Amino acid sequence: MANIRAVQKALDALGIGKLEARPWRRSVVLEGRVRTWQDYIRAGYAAAGKGFKGVVNDIEVEGLEREREYIPPVRDNTLEGKQFDVIVIGGGVIGCAIARELTRWQLRVAVLEKEDDVAKQTSSRNNGMIHPGIAPARGTKKLHYNILGNRMYTQAARELGFALERCGSLILLEKSWYRLLAPLAKQQALQKGVDGVILLSRREVFRREPYATPAQRGGVLLPSAGVVAPYDVTVAFAENAVENGAQVFLHTMVQGFAMEHDRIARVLTNRGRIRAKVVVNAAGVWADKVAGWANDRFFTIHGRKGTIAILDKKTRAYQSGVLAMPRLGSKAHTKGGGINPTVEGNLLMGPNAVEVPWREDWSTGPEDMEFLLSRHLPLNTRLRPGDIITYFAGVRACTFEEDFVVEPSEYVANLVHAAGIQSPGLAAAPAIARDVAEMAVKLLSGVMEVRPNPRFNPVRRPNPRLTDLSLEERALLIRSNPAYGRIVCRCEAVSEGEIVAAVKSPVPALSVDAVKRRVRAGMGRCQGGFCTPAVLDILARETGVPPTRVVKGRPGSELVLAPTKEPGEGSADA
Amino acid sequence: MRKDWDVIVIGAGPAGLAAAAAACDAGAGVCLVERESRPGGILKQCIHDGFGLVRYGEKLTGPEYAWRDIEAVRRRNIPIWTETFLLELQRAGDGFVLTMQNREQAVFQLTARALVAATGCRERTARQIFIHGQRPAGIYTAGTVQHMINIQGYLPGRRCVILGSGDIGLIMARRLVLEGARVEGVYEIKPEPSGLTRNLVQCLQDYNIPLHLSTTVTRVLGRERVEGVVVCPADENLRPLPDRGRIVPCDTLVLSVGLIPENDILEPLGVELNPRTGGPVVDQRLAANVPGLFSCGNALHVNDLVDYVSESGEIAGRAAAAYALGRTQPPNHAELVPEGDILYAVPGRLDLAAGGKAVVYLRANRTIGNARLTISAGDKTVLRKRYPVLRPPEMERIVLDLADLPAGAGAVKLSLRGEENG
Repeated sequence: MANIRAVQKALDALGIGKLEARPWRRSVVLEGRVRTWQDYIRAGYAAAGKGFKGVVNDIEVEGLEREREYIPPVRDNTLEGKQFDVIVIGGGVIGCAIARELTRWQLRVAVLEKEDDVAKQTSSRNNGMIHPGIAPARGTKKLHYNILGNRMYTQAARELGFALERCGSLILLEKSWYRLLAPLAKQQALQKGVDGVILLSRREVFRREPYATPAQRGGVLLPSAGVVAPYDVTVAFAENAVENGAQVFLHTMVQGFAMEHDRIARVLTNRGRIRAKVVVNAAGVWADKVAGWANDRFFTIHGRKGTIAILDKKTRAYQSGVLAMPRLGSKAHTKGGGINPTVEGNLLMGPNAVEVPWREDWSTGPEDMEFLLSRHLPLNTRLRPGDIITYFAGVRACTFEEDFVVEPSEYVANLVHAAGIQSPGLAAAPAIARDVAEMAVKLLSGVMEVRPNPRFNPVRRPNPRLTDLSLEERALLIRSNPAYGRIVCRCEAVSEGEIVAAVKSPVPALSVDAVKRRVRAGMGRCQGGFCTPAVLDILARETGVPPTRVVKGRPGSELVLAPTKEPGEGSADA
Repeated sequence: MRKDWDVIVIGAGPAGLAAAAAACDAGAGVCLVERESRPGGILKQCIHDGFGLVRYGEKLTGPEYAWRDIEAVRRRNIPIWTETFLLELQRAGDGFVLTMQNREQAVFQLTARALVAATGCRERTARQIFIHGQRPAGIYTAGTVQHMINIQGYLPGRRCVILGSGDIGLIMARRLVLEGARVEGVYEIKPEPSGLTRNLVQCLQDYNIPLHLSTTVTRVLGRERVEGVVVCPADENLRPLPDRGRIVPCDTLVLSVGLIPENDILEPLGVELNPRTGGPVVDQRLAANVPGLFSCGNALHVNDLVDYVSESGEIAGRAAAAYALGRTQPPNHAELVPEGDILYAVPGRLDLAAGGKAVVYLRANRTIGNARLTISAGDKTVLRKRYPVLRPPEMERIVLDLADLPAGAGAVKLSLRGEENG
């Protein structure tokens, strides 16, 4: 039962200033002022779990710099007056998977993404884990969608042609007495629906993972855990959606809604006003803001940053599956990461979890690396700090209720939310997408006849990747197109043919980073030192722009600024 | 086209070109494999001069220096497979099988009795030295900048900060200024510069580019394009002091923070690497622990002069030919053990059975004065040398006649002792 007095009491008990809680619809809104972001977060969690549908945390933080949210520097009217049956806001893995599900019906579907590519934010900034479902609590949407999504990945990978490796996850026990709890934990996990739970002794752990930390006292193996390349998955969903008739509009930012009574009449963007019968909110870290434009902001998203280090491919031989050693009793809202393989043959270390006020700040700091080095590196005794080739950060879109929001709006007639999708959101994506598409179709059925799409083809034929081919297949491909014979990225052995194919794909790769996400050029140990200049020239040639217009990612990220001087041109102080 | 070779040289940079010519002169059938479209390696983009003083007694540009070796290879009719990428390297019988690809042959195999790995090195990146911040455009290694300017004709930035005072960094500081860019400064975490003295003078002093010692870059600012960097003084343990950081506005960060020998393709063969150099452990013939495998150039250890790269190529090429043609004895190895102020020495062992002269390259681990180098076996000292001053960036080369060693020498000690701040 919703209890506003319990919330107020919990806020007062924090002793961080005068904060007020008031009910709004079935949620609770927090107001007041605090000194630090940490206090803001504490207040949000204090209000959670008190029977309200959501926590709207409108507490101000003194002196906090406002975030410089990215706004695409494009303004035109290319989308003015366009009409779609469904508009999906957000080209992350959730939005793209939803769009693909929607194309099973005869619908005009558009994905609006403000970034220069799909999978630009959280969907490419995670460790690619397809979680087994052991972590979420019973009765949560997280658990429901995690278990289902995990199972759906096998078929999705086969249909869409992305790599899925069910390498299993091994949770190491830190103390011997944890073993006493293990049978109970196993029982609970099986009741949750986790597909397979195997208890391992210390010796069995070493048999499976010879380089596991000597501190381990046995482990719990979850064979259904897997890994994918999250940007591959997102691109695969997006491309299959496009192949089946959906449209993806990049550099397109939703900036408001024009409401008519309880309906969204128009979606306002930097490229014009668009009509849609149904709107899906899959806006990731900004999903609360999008909900607010429809006066349906019943939850607040707060960013939780995680930093992940990528290790040299040499290290892949030192570990067979995922390794983690969570600290029991820790209050952190994450298992605390670990070391996991990637489908491309690296190991990843992390992520950590840090509450941050800025949702698009993907900077890393020395404290993050220190955490990974001290906490995660020792899980595998063969790993050295020198094995790290690079690292990156992502921001999880968390609600204070710590659960996914997957539902049609209670107040807006044509809005469906897929919000608060943080870990295990990637694993849950196929299941969330199926439900959200059904919700959207149900709403549409009130205003139009929705028929199955007879031409829907769930199978996507991905561009060939040389490293996946046998020598014979490789030779055939090169003979059919010699551009596959020229290796451009030496570390990852990526050919010119693969880069050109990525530029010509249904969701084309038009920047150096987009090429990197599609084909891995620049992801190896030299980090693009050798191939960036070559990729730059290929992009300029294939897209017909001068080299000075080729970007790393967003507009404004041009790689080179001008041609060099012509012979005989002026001196140093030009 | 011939498929079976006495010697295959991987990499047609200066080391590989010299190795191929030397192997040919020693009577071996040899070919070169090169992944780029033209031979010459990184020299192609080194359009500044100063190459060849030791080898030719004259100052050449990089392309001029490379051209001499390319001509030497052409005169000998040594085939070069360009734009050809090595996919797999395996041992087979007493030789090697190389599986490769290129546009014309698609996928094909060559076999060789002996292999010379002249694969060069790569540059250390920003993240490998733990520079933080976001990942905007405008962070480049010095070699990438050099390629963009000198090969492609693109100016990567207008306002640059250079981190690391290695030679390429110094040379690129000057190059950027010549192209009209502004270089805000060169920052070096160590208390002394890493590059050659002549480059400090000719590239920085002559162009009034400030050099900031004991200072490093800790963070990159900017989201789409670099907008600045945070520079910090560093203490004597090379740890940055973050509370004394300041912002230097710039649009480009150029890194010259070290080179890493590239021997990754050799690892499946079980090659033993020296953790100090990053290159294979070799004897004076530059033979690695894998029989028939030879290493040279910057893949063996990072050189500061191309002249020594070529010399090591010649040694490896000659030795590979002798091995392939069955002119070698089973080895009888003695370790060459560095002591005292030595950062590293190459080779790591001596093959007493092969005899002859050993060219030993070494670096001091700090700047020392009045340095004494001795080579001894048991209680016999076979070589003594004095240096007024030795600096880590400047490699020393000495020649040891193996005939001077006492018979049955187990280990040979290479000892360097000097005085601080010489």
